[in-house]
Amino acid sequence: MRLLLVEDDTMIGRSVQRGLRQDGHTVDWVLDGQSAELALDVTTYELVLLDLGLPRKDGLRVLQDLRKRNNRVAVLVLTARDTVADRVTGLNAGADDYLVKPFDLDELLARVRALLRRQSGRAESTIDLGRLQLDPIAHQVHLDGELIALSAREFALLQGLAEQAGKPLSRKQLEEKLYGWGDEVESNAIEVHIHNLRRKLGPEWIKNLRGVGWMVPK
Amino acid sequence: MKSIRRQLLAALLLTISLSLAGGAFATYRIVRDQLDNVFDYHLRQLALSLRDQAFRSAVGPEFSPGDQALDFVIQVWSVDGVRLYLSRPHSTLPATARFGWATVNTPDGEWRIFSMPADDEVIQVAQPVKVRDELAISAALRALLPIGLLLPVLGIALWLIVGQGFAPLARLANAVRIRTPDALAPLPESDVPEEAQPLVRSLNDLLQRLHGALSAQRAFIADAAHELRTPLTALQLQVQLLEREHNEHERTRALAELKRGLQRATHVVAQLLTLARQAPDVIGIKPVQVSLSELIGVVIADHMPLAESKHIDLGASSLDESIVITGDAEALRTLLANLVSNALAYTPANGRVDVANGYDNDKPFVEVLDNGRGIPVTERERVFDRFYRGESAGEHGSGLGLAIVRAIAQRHGANVELGDSAWDGLRVRVSFPA
Repeated sequence: MRLLLVEDDTMIGRSVQRGLRQDGHTVDWVLDGQSAELALDVTTYELVLLDLGLPRKDGLRVLQDLRKRNNRVAVLVLTARDTVADRVTGLNAGADDYLVKPFDLDELLARVRALLRRQSGRAESTIDLGRLQLDPIAHQVHLDGELIALSAREFALLQGLAEQAGKPLSRKQLEEKLYGWGDEVESNAIEVHIHNLRRKLGPEWIKNLRGVGWMVPK
Repeated sequence: MKSIRRQLLAALLLTISLSLAGGAFATYRIVRDQLDNVFDYHLRQLALSLRDQAFRSAVGPEFSPGDQALDFVIQVWSVDGVRLYLSRPHSTLPATARFGWATVNTPDGEWRIFSMPADDEVIQVAQPVKVRDELAISAALRALLPIGLLLPVLGIALWLIVGQGFAPLARLANAVRIRTPDALAPLPESDVPEEAQPLVRSLNDLLQRLHGALSAQRAFIADAAHELRTPLTALQLQVQLLEREHNEHERTRALAELKRGLQRATHVVAQLLTLARQAPDVIGIKPVQVSLSELIGVVIADHMPLAESKHIDLGASSLDESIVITGDAEALRTLLANLVSNALAYTPANGRVDVANGYDNDKPFVEVLDNGRGIPVTERERVFDRFYRGESAGEHGSGLGLAIVRAIAQRHGANVELGDSAWDGLRVRVSFPA
C-alpha cells in the first residue's frame, strides 16, 4: 500500500523505508513538515508515518491541519516525545496510533498492518473471499487451499482490489497505490499485472469495467 | 570542640573574678591605710594619756588598755635605759632611741611603736602590725563575700542567657537542614538578628547557585536522554534489518549502514560528554597561554583528511602569530575543531573553508569562513540551542557542536558571532576579551 514517511533523520528514514518496502509497501519519504503537506495534497496515501520533531513545520501542526482539512488518512506518530502528556496530545490531535522511539521494527510493521486493516474495514488480517484467501502478513494467496505464487506488485494490486471487493478502482488509483515517486511506471504496467493475475487465478476474479476500472467481485 | 558559649562564659567569669579580686585588694589597702591612721592616732593618744601618770614602781596598776585583741603593749623607760613598766610580761620590745612612730621587726613579727618623752622617762606604746593586717583582710572579705557567693548563680544565669542568645542560630541550622535538592527555597531574612544577617544572605546566595546548578544539570540530562533516542532508534532498526538479510551483498550493505549508525551514536555520546564537561562549575584546569596561530595549525592538520575526502580547500587565510590567549588549551582546541568540522559538514564538495585570526578593537578573535549555504538570519539564535539541527543536517551531526562552542566561549569570557562570509556562506567569529 502507498505510505508516506515523514522523518527528518536520514538514517532512521532510510531504515524505516527499507523495512516497509520489504514488507511489500510503497513508501514515499519526505524530510520536513512543509514537504509532508505538499505530498499529502498531491497524493492519496493509505497511511502516514509521522515524526513530530520536524524542521520547517512541526509534525503536530501538520497533523492538526490535516484533520482540519478533513483528510482522514491513517496516521501513525513516531516520536521521541514519550511522556503520557505527549501521547495524549498526539492522539487527541488526530493520530491513530503513537509509537515512541526507539521502537522495534517488527512492532512498527505490525502496527502499520493493523491500521491498514482498519482503514479497509477489516478486523482480521486475512482477507476472506470464500475460495480466495489473502494473507497480507505472509504475502500469500490461497485459491481453494492451494498457494498461488505472485510477485510483490501483483500481490499488492490484488490486495488493493480485494480490500475493496465490490468497488472498482481506476487505473490511476491503482497506480497511485502501487508506485511511489521514485518508481518508473510504464504506461501499461497495470494491464500487465492484471493480465498475469487473471492467468494465475482465473479470469472471474478480476472484472474489467469498461471506462471505469477493475474490480474483485464480492 | 570550641564553643562560643563556653568561651564567652569563661571570659565573663574570669573578668568578673579578676574585678572582684582587684576590688578585694583595693578594699584591703584602703581599709589598711585607714586602720594605720586610726591606730597610730590611738597609740599616740594612749601615750599622751599615760604621760600624766606617775610611775614610781616597775609594775604599775594593771592597765587595761582596751581589747586584748588590740594587743597594745606599754613600756616605760628611764633615761638611763632601765625599764620601769611593762604592761604585758611576755613581750620584749627593744627601746628605740627615736621618738615618734616606728616599725620594728621582732621574732614575733613587726610591731608599730610610738615613743614619746615624759619628764625624764620615755613612754612607748606598741601594737603588732599583724593586728592591722588581719582587721583589714577581714573587712575586705566581709565586703566581697556576698558577691563571691553569687558567682555560681551568675555563672548559671550567664550560661542560660547566652544560650538563649544563640537560639536563632539553632533555628537557622534547622531551616538549612530541612532543605533538599528539590526544595531550595531561600531562607527567610526577616526575624533574623543583625549578627546573623550576613550569614543568612550568604546562605541564600549559595542556595540560589545550587538551585541553578541542579536545574542546569536536570535540563541537560533530560535533553541528553531525548537526543540519544534518535541514534539509538537508527541502531535498533539497522540491526533488525541486518538480521533479515540473507543475501551476502545485502548483508554487507546492511552491516555498513549499521556501522555508520554506531559511529554516529558514539559521536553523539562523545559530544554530550564534552558539553557536560564545559559546565561552569568544573574547576581544576589551570589557565595557560595559548598561541592562537599554533592552535589553528593543529586543528587544520587534524581535519585535513576529512577536507580532502570531500575535495574541500581547507586552510588559513591570514594568521597573526603574535596573538596569545589565556585559557584552557584542550577546550579551545575542541571549540575550534567543532567550528571547522561544522564548516566542512555544511560546505558542498569542492568548496572552501578558511580559518583566520586577528584583532578587532583590541579584542583577539578567531574565525571560520565557508562557502556553504550559510545560516538564515532568522535561525541564527536558535542555532545555539542544544540539539537543534538545521535542515538537511546530514547523517553525522549531533546538533551539539555550536552549543559546545558557546559553552567553551562563555567560560573564557568570549563572544560568538554569526555572520556572512564573503562567498555568501557562513562566518563564525569568536572574540576574546581584550
